[in-house]
Amino acid sequence: MFESAICQIIFYVFAALAALCAIGVVAFRNPVASAMNMALSFGFTAAILFGMGAQFLGIVQLIVYAGAILVLFLFVVMMLDVKAEEHSGLMPMVVGVVVASIFAGIVTHVALHLPGAQDGACPVITACENIDALAVTDTPKAETAAPQQTGFGGSLPQLDSKAANQAANPGMRPEAAAAATGYPDVKLLGKTLFTQYNIAFVILSFALLSGTVGAVALARKIRKD
Amino acid sequence: MTIPLAHYLILSGILFSIGLAGVLIRRNILVVFMCLEMMLSAANISLVAFSRAQGTAGIPVYDAQVLSLFIVAIAAAEVSIGLALIVAMFRARRTVDSTSLNSLKD
Repeated sequence: MFESAICQIIFYVFAALAALCAIGVVAFRNPVASAMNMALSFGFTAAILFGMGAQFLGIVQLIVYAGAILVLFLFVVMMLDVKAEEHSGLMPMVVGVVVASIFAGIVTHVALHLPGAQDGACPVITACENIDALAVTDTPKAETAAPQQTGFGGSLPQLDSKAANQAANPGMRPEAAAAATGYPDVKLLGKTLFTQYNIAFVILSFALLSGTVGAVALARKIRKD
Repeated sequence: MTIPLAHYLILSGILFSIGLAGVLIRRNILVVFMCLEMMLSAANISLVAFSRAQGTAGIPVYDAQVLSLFIVAIAAAEVSIGLALIVAMFRARRTVDSTSLNSLKD
């Protein structure tokens, strides 16, 4: 299909650009150049999040990371008058590249061998069937315990804007839900955030407050008198 | 949308390991801190990808996206504290080179 081919090409282009800019952060010796590359990398990451249908998180990524955090970094770089660093020698470079390559290889291997990626069998379902075979009576049946999707193999499931509109507005008539265009990402995320995770959200505001107070307390000049 | 989940996870892992390499290689503590931020934002990609993959009936599981939102908020708080520490360190030592931090008492 033409549209999905476009989606795929855009994803791979943005993924490559994000990785390239991330390499730029490490490679440039001037901290300002590193910060600019970091902004670009966060922008491409936000584009990938948009492509996954997480519009709100994409916007948050742009505003918080590429906006707030980057400006804070640039403030500090300008304020401290940082010079370009000299080469750190061959040994740390080799160690860093080797460790990072090993980590990337492990992640790639795990991602390509996720449960369900090879034979379509999910280990959770297999475990439930084994429990049934052992005739343990007080465990849930495989039908109720198994997840809806068998494993993590294959492509991501399609977003269904009709079902999502129905879930976001429970009182909506089916005709209205069918006529609704667009995916109500923010509404569903807000519903989860303000019902199920409301207490965690309130506690998070205390973390931000303590961060503000701590930053002021740490960065103020200490007078010696 | 025909991109497999594995490709999102591999992208996330690659961005994370580039950040890890930066933390190990660079000596400027500001750039080390930038690489830490990149590692945090790389984790967000895999969280959102898993939330899509485990979704039922065309609706993602939003718990993972809420966790990802929390990560962004904690990262913002962490950056403010960390940069304040770096400013305090620069005042004390007049350098941001991490290898110069080699004595417990000056």
